[in-house]
Amino acid sequence: MTAPRIALRIVVVVAALLLQVCVVNRMHLPLGTPDLLVIVVVAFALVGGSQRGAVLGFFAGLLADVVPPADHYAGELAFSYAVIGYVAGMLDAGEESTVPTIIAVVAAASFGVVLLYAGLGDLIGDARISAGVAGRAVAATVVYDVVLAPFVVPLVSAAARRFEPAGTR
Amino acid sequence: MRNARRARLVLTLLLLTALTLVTLDYRSGALSGIRKAASTVFGPIETVISDVVHPIGSWFSGLAHLGSYKSENEALHKKLAEVETQLRMTATEREEYAQEQQLLHLAGLAQFTTVAARVTAYGAAFGFESTVTIDRGTANGIAKNETVISGAGLVGRVVDVSRNTATVQLADDSQFTVGARLSTGTLAVGSLQGNGRGKDMSLQLLDNTVRLTKGQQLVSFASGPGGPFVPEVPIGTITAVAPATGQLAQTATVHPFVSFGSLDVVAVVVASPKSIQHDLLLPKSPTPAPTVTVTVTATPGVTPPPATSGSTSGVTPSTTPSSSASTTP
Repeated sequence: MTAPRIALRIVVVVAALLLQVCVVNRMHLPLGTPDLLVIVVVAFALVGGSQRGAVLGFFAGLLADVVPPADHYAGELAFSYAVIGYVAGMLDAGEESTVPTIIAVVAAASFGVVLLYAGLGDLIGDARISAGVAGRAVAATVVYDVVLAPFVVPLVSAAARRFEPAGTR
Repeated sequence: MRNARRARLVLTLLLLTALTLVTLDYRSGALSGIRKAASTVFGPIETVISDVVHPIGSWFSGLAHLGSYKSENEALHKKLAEVETQLRMTATEREEYAQEQQLLHLAGLAQFTTVAARVTAYGAAFGFESTVTIDRGTANGIAKNETVISGAGLVGRVVDVSRNTATVQLADDSQFTVGARLSTGTLAVGSLQGNGRGKDMSLQLLDNTVRLTKGQQLVSFASGPGGPFVPEVPIGTITAVAPATGQLAQTATVHPFVSFGSLDVVAVVVASPKSIQHDLLLPKSPTPAPTVTVTVTATPGVTPPPATSGSTSGVTPSTTPSSSASTTP
């Protein structure tokens, strides 16, 4: 990882996170919200592979755990996004992902990340986690993310590849 | 293959680290320093972004909520939608001003010492959390656990504070609990709990002798010196009472006065007078609209509902006496 690549990842992750809390969550869409961070983590993982996907997911999640107005235990999102980044990275084929692939991966990742977060929260006795809320959260996140993914993923992947000389991985 | 094994090892280490962090935070709150640092860095950025995107955000929010009015007259609705989306762009400031006026009115009545703040960011965590960031912090005299109000009533409580920003847990968050008192003369006290983003709250009343009815209003109940809540802040109206089935506590659904989806200007109560007159802050009409313009229509007594008053007035003298079980051959 060279400095420009790391810088790109920091910029994109921070931008997605701030966009999430300042703009997306403010809209109060029905049922739930899209989760921009999942899409970004998947996009980078599809370019960088499992290990980088896991590392990026971990730090992106950790940031989301502590940037206000987060109000849960630090590490919960880091755990969830690290798993998602790892799994999505296994699908890195070294070439441009097609739109159906992107949609399928983002849908699965959104589904997985909400379930992981809810499961972990439930384990440590988070009163916010209930089957009803979790069901709605999963449905909303998957649907909204699938709508956004075809626009966001190619953009992020293209930016990532610019900093990634072919064959060096 | 070696790459794959290394990736697995890295993942394992990351997950163990994450779980360790969760444990540390859970046990001791050892990570509050990191959290504070993040708030100090990102809080002001959120303030700046919110200043820029605020009108755009509320415009989108207007669009998102148009769907919920569908049951109304469609033609009228369409026209309204056009006008509304046009208005929203320009009326953001006017709306904010109205909220401010309402807030000043409430805080003035109660003689609360408040710090006004603007909501800069909303938390979600996929929709599990209901929290916001406000653009005032310790530098403005805000401390943890203080009550946050708006012109309509109770908004939430401060759960975290840094120098220039604070995190507020909204009253519809599932982790939110507040002591509440029935407004109508009684001193019946219960506990009111959030049920998640956008959902009504639920009330548990410990006193079984008081009958809960639809339309009754609730105000906050002081949680003791040093406790989070100042008393007498309006919270909401009872919309449904669960049938009492031999339970110790009565339960009811409470619709909050504050609409948590459209918060702009809020105030943190940093000091309150020793005592506040009961029911002083409640909206005056029995069916409160959230936009209170205090027109004093003299309706002094809240008329009790005519439930079970004339106990079985039309007594139908049944021809068969109930005790006639002796006619069996």
